[in-house]
Amino acid sequence: MTASNTPSPTILESTNVAKVHHSDANGHHSKSKRFQYLPPWTTPYVIGVGGPSGSGKTSVAAKIVSSLNVPWTVLISLDNFYKPLNAEQRRTAFENNYDFDHPTALDLDLAYEAISSLKEGKKTTIPVYSFVEHNRIPNKNITIYGASIIVLEGIYTLYDKRLLDLMDLKIYVDADLDVCLARRLSRDIVYRGRDLEGCLEQWERFVKPNAERYLRPKMKEADAIVPSLTDNGVAVELIINHIKSRLQQKSEEHLKELIELGHSDLVNVSEHPSLHELVPTNQVNAIITMLLNKMTSRYDFVFYFDRIATILLTQVLSDIPVYEKCTIETPEGTTIPDALKCDFNQITAINLIESGDCFMHSLKKTIPNIVTGKLLVQSDSRTGEPQLHFKLLPPDITNYKMVLLTEAQMISGASMIMSTQVLLDHGVELENIKVVVFLATEISIRRILNAFDGKVDIYVGKIVTKNELNRCDWAKARFVGAKYFGW
Amino acid sequence: MSTEPYKNVHLLNQSNQLVGLYTIIRDKNTARPDFIFYSDRIIRLLVEEGLNHLPVEPLTVRTHTDKPFDGVSFIGKICGVSIVRAGESMEEGLRDCCRSVRIGKILIQRDEETAKPKLFFEKLPEDIAQRYVFLLDPMLATGGSAIMATDVLIKRGVKPERIYFLNLICSKEGIDKYHAAFPDVKIVTGAIDQGLDENRYLIPGLGDFGDRYYCL
Repeated sequence: MTASNTPSPTILESTNVAKVHHSDANGHHSKSKRFQYLPPWTTPYVIGVGGPSGSGKTSVAAKIVSSLNVPWTVLISLDNFYKPLNAEQRRTAFENNYDFDHPTALDLDLAYEAISSLKEGKKTTIPVYSFVEHNRIPNKNITIYGASIIVLEGIYTLYDKRLLDLMDLKIYVDADLDVCLARRLSRDIVYRGRDLEGCLEQWERFVKPNAERYLRPKMKEADAIVPSLTDNGVAVELIINHIKSRLQQKSEEHLKELIELGHSDLVNVSEHPSLHELVPTNQVNAIITMLLNKMTSRYDFVFYFDRIATILLTQVLSDIPVYEKCTIETPEGTTIPDALKCDFNQITAINLIESGDCFMHSLKKTIPNIVTGKLLVQSDSRTGEPQLHFKLLPPDITNYKMVLLTEAQMISGASMIMSTQVLLDHGVELENIKVVVFLATEISIRRILNAFDGKVDIYVGKIVTKNELNRCDWAKARFVGAKYFGW
Repeated sequence: MSTEPYKNVHLLNQSNQLVGLYTIIRDKNTARPDFIFYSDRIIRLLVEEGLNHLPVEPLTVRTHTDKPFDGVSFIGKICGVSIVRAGESMEEGLRDCCRSVRIGKILIQRDEETAKPKLFFEKLPEDIAQRYVFLLDPMLATGGSAIMATDVLIKRGVKPERIYFLNLICSKEGIDKYHAAFPDVKIVTGAIDQGLDENRYLIPGLGDFGDRYYCL
C-alpha cells in the first residue's frame, strides 16, 4: 500500500458530477435527499474460511491476507472462541478425553456477536485462548477496529447459520482426511505441546467422526471449495481476484458517497451556525498573506503559522463550556462569588497525520499539559479511497468535554470525515468534536456539515469557496505541512 | 471583537475562556507558575487585539503554485514601551507576536518627599516618533504613572493616536483620569473593575501584579 501525498483528484473535482446526480429532470434540486456517511469499516467485507482440521485453512487465509496486502485486513481465528473449561472439563481435556472438535466446544454465540459488531463498524474485543491451559487467557483480549476486510478462519466457520449470513464470501478448504491427520500431528505436537499418543486417540475418537458428521455436510454452504494447499494455487488466485474486484466496487461506492456529500441545498455554507471562520482582521489577513507567499522563509513561515494557529485555538476555546461556578478570594481579600471556572484539562486534541502536528506548538502554548492523540488516514494512490491506517487515541477519550481534530489543510475533507467517524465509533459525542483547520475548501466543509448533520463545530482560518478554487489553486495542494516541517 | 463602553477603550470579548482565565489569575490560591502562564495568555490576547488595530496596505504575493494572492501587509513600525517593573512582564507576550520588536523602558517611582510619581529613568528607541507604540503596564488603577509615561512618549514626538495602552485590568476612575489627559490614546484591556479601595487598589483586582509575577 503506497499512500499518496496529494489528495485524490477524483474526490475534489467530481463535484459537478454529483450536482447533476442531485438535480431532477427539470434541473431542480430535490429537497428530500438525506445525506449520511458510512465509512468502509461500517460494511466490512467478511470472508469465511472453513474445513477440516489440518486441511490448510490457515494457509489459505494467510495467503488471501498477504495477497490483498492492505493494512485494514484482519484475520480472526475461530479458535479464539473456544469455550473456557471448568475444572472438571479441564481435567478431561488434559487426559485427552474432551471433545474439542464438536461444534458445541465453541462459543458460537460470542463469535456471532463479535463478527456482527465488527460488521456494524464498532470497536470490538475478542478473547484469546490458550491451547496449553485449555482456557481463555485472563485479562488478555484482542481489540479490533477499523477493519474493512475480515477473514474468519476455523473448522466450523461455515457451521452456524447466523455467521454464514454475515459473510460475503464462504470458502471451504477440502483435503483428504489422511493428509489432514499428518498435518495435524506435526502441528499439535510441535506447536501446541501435546503428545503423539493423545493426538492419535483424539483423532480417532473425536476429530474424524465429527468431521464426517458435522463438517462435510457444510461443504454445500460454500461459495468455493478449494483443494489442499499443495495444488490450490489457481483456485486461491481466482478467489483473490474475485475479492479484489468486489473491494474495488466497494471503494468506488465509498468514493461516490463522499462526492455526493459535497453537494447540498445549503446555498451559503458560510452562514451555517457550526462554521466559525476567523474574523478577517488586519492582523489575520497580514499573517495569511505571509503564509501564502512562497518567498516567505521557513523560519518566518513556522513563526507565522504558530501565530495564526494560536489565534484559531483561542477562538475554539472562547466557547469552552463552564461547568461550575466557584467563589474565589483575591490577594487583597475581596471575595468574588460566582466566578466562572473553566477546566482546560477537559480538552484533548487529536492531530491528523500528516499536518495536524503543525498545531502542536500552539496547543502547548495554550494548554501546557494537553493530552493529545494521533490518527493517520491516507488515500490509496490507486483508487483515491481514503483509509484508516493508524490510530492512537487518549485513554478515556469519552471523558473529555472538547475533542479537537486538528489538521493544517482540508482539501477533499475525506480524511477529516473519516477521523470524525473514528471518534464517534469510540463513543465521543458529536457535539464535543471540534474540527480545527487553518485552510479549507468550501467543498470539504460542506461534506462535513452534510455527513454529520451540521452538528460538528468547524473552526477555520481561511475558507476558499468553490468559485475561488480555480483562481486559488494553492488551496488544492498540500503545502503547509511540507513547509512547516521542511519535507 | 471588542466592545466599547467608552470611546477609545477596546475591551476584549468577554468569552467563557477569558473570564475563566481571569478567575485563575485573580484567585489568591493560584501558584506562581500558573499565574505566570495564564497572565501570559491574557497578555498575548491584548497584544493581538492591539495589532488588529494597526493599519495595513494591499500586497499581492506569489503563492507556491505561482498564482497571485491579493493580501495585505502592515505599514509602519511598532515598538513596545514597558513601565518598570510590572510592565516588563508583558514584554514576552509582545515578543511572542512581534519577534525582535524594540522595547523602551520607563521607570517611575513615588517620590518619598512629595508622594507624587517621579520619572527616574527612560530609555527609548531613537526613532520612536515614527513608530506605533504599545505602552505596557498590567494595571490601570489611578493612572498616575501611566499618565506620566504617556507624557514622556508625547514629548518625544509620538502621536497620541499612535499609542496603544495595553493593560490587564483597569478601573473606570483610571480610564476617566487617563483619557482626560490623553483622549486620543487607545486603551486595550481585558477587564474593567468596580473601582478602587481606600488604599487606591483595584477592587476586586488581583493583588500586586509585579510581585505575583516576579517574586511570590
